[in-house]
Amino acid sequence: MPEFIARRLVQLIPTLIFILVVVFVLVRLLPGDPASAVLGDRALDADVERINRELGLDRSIPVQFWVFVKSFLTGDLGNSISLRIPVTQLIADRLPITMLLTLMAAAIALIIAIPLAFVAALRRERLPDTLIRGGFQVGLSMPVFYIGLVLLTVFGANLRWFPVGGYGDTFPEHLYHLFLPAVTLALSLSAILMRNLRAAIIEVLDADYVTFARSKGLRTRLILFRHILRNALISTLALFGLSIGTLLGGAVITETVFAIPGAGRLMVDSIYGRDYPVVQGLTVTLAVVVSITFLLTDLLQAWLDPRVTK
Amino acid sequence: MSESAQPEAADAARRSVRLPRPGHLPLPFIGGALILGLSVFVAAFPGLFAPYDPLAFDYNAVLQGPSAAHPFGTDNFGRDVLSRVIHAYTIDMQIAIFATIFPFVFGTAVGALVGYAGGIAETIFGRVVDAVITFPFLVLVIAIVSVLGPGLGNMYIAVGLVGWVFYARITAAEVRVQKRLDYADAGRAMGYTHARIIFRHLLPNAITPAIVYWMTDMALAILLGSSLGYLGLGAQPPAAEWGVQIAEAKNFMSTAWWMGVFPGLAIVVTGLGFSLLGDGLAELLRTRR
Repeated sequence: MPEFIARRLVQLIPTLIFILVVVFVLVRLLPGDPASAVLGDRALDADVERINRELGLDRSIPVQFWVFVKSFLTGDLGNSISLRIPVTQLIADRLPITMLLTLMAAAIALIIAIPLAFVAALRRERLPDTLIRGGFQVGLSMPVFYIGLVLLTVFGANLRWFPVGGYGDTFPEHLYHLFLPAVTLALSLSAILMRNLRAAIIEVLDADYVTFARSKGLRTRLILFRHILRNALISTLALFGLSIGTLLGGAVITETVFAIPGAGRLMVDSIYGRDYPVVQGLTVTLAVVVSITFLLTDLLQAWLDPRVTK
Repeated sequence: MSESAQPEAADAARRSVRLPRPGHLPLPFIGGALILGLSVFVAAFPGLFAPYDPLAFDYNAVLQGPSAAHPFGTDNFGRDVLSRVIHAYTIDMQIAIFATIFPFVFGTAVGALVGYAGGIAETIFGRVVDAVITFPFLVLVIAIVSVLGPGLGNMYIAVGLVGWVFYARITAAEVRVQKRLDYADAGRAMGYTHARIIFRHLLPNAITPAIVYWMTDMALAILLGSSLGYLGLGAQPPAAEWGVQIAEAKNFMSTAWWMGVFPGLAIVVTGLGFSLLGDGLAELLRTRR
């Protein structure tokens, strides 16, 4: 196990370097120089020069890359052009909101997926199974932003059960404000999880150890939870890790629909405002969040199922 | 029992070479093909179906509910929603194809080469895949679009830069299996070139999963394209595109539900068409093997 952890940690290094290279190249590919993009066409030469110096664009490419890498290592990502505060602070303010939203969505997706997967697997190829799978197929084809708008209109604007946007001030208020967005985000994830769980449960149902447990006369409910759910969840865990990127992408849209001041909303705002330091910092940060999530789910999976480490 | 099973199996094998008759096609395949065939036809000739000009304002008919004159109602500029949904087929079907064709072709080719070569090429490729999947796809695409500027052309470039990786991974895995089979050895024994073995012999046998994924990917492309349209980074208003239409509808969700429901429905139906076709193809190609 320690060996496995060490190996996974070492694998993280080339991934992080690659992330930095991609984002660096991306920003340099910019057509025209960022200074005039920021200042507009009628910018004074002196201003253009000042911005270029601020962004470090007057130096050679290798030096720029070194400065770029160093800025991430020291956590100094420069200042936001439009908000005039350090990018690091901006991300530190906004990212926790997105993480909370993502966590809630993941929890809700599991709460939706587990019971339905059981029903579908135990009533395989019969009406409940067909209905559940058909419903999720439709759910998967629905755009996140439309689901969000419908929930917002029905439960926010019309029924007034939930706020129509914002984030609140206290933690319970945060949970309350994030509930509808989290449900929006959870629906497509739950469809993917349900499909995988159903297949895993069916596989486990036919496994020898379940037949053995049954023949020992264990109660069905005990078998379902102790044996089947545990094993089915292990494979779901890997899928969970892989879905984090989709969830964060979905958060960009949900936060825009529900006007939540998270990292996703910040991303969209910074793109409209051509605030490149923020876009660059956020892209790297989100990629790092994803690779750390991969690492954690891998380790968790290895802990639950030692065969993985081999 | 085993004697009677023998000719049956032989019969099945013989039949599997030919394309199945329409009555024997999997049901999802028929459903998906019907939906998409119709969608492509509408996309090619929207003028045949749309009763109005999708861009024409009519201030005498603003925000009207569905009626005989306007089956899907009108929007806040009096534009006919049905005509806009129909004309949007042209853009959205184009997104489905243009955003995925390069990743499909390039990705399967790279995947075939990598899977065949193995060794160091596969190790390096594995690292590239690991790195690419750590970028949240939508975030990366938005970041690229932000650099290149909003618009569909730039969205295709952004998706192309990232999307091929998934096809390559799928195909590499399949080719890795196929290259160990006897017919690949036979090709080598015959002295065929690597290129001929890879593209004429291995790839046709290894491409099924990539094709099935392609169908899913086209549905995802429409979701992505409409999401970007919604965010204002894809198709630009006043163009008729489903995501753009839903973005226009967002302030009228409770007063004029029809503005958003019908474009939303179009996305769902088209997406369903692609996933049905994908499921059907998987079934069809599996039995043919």
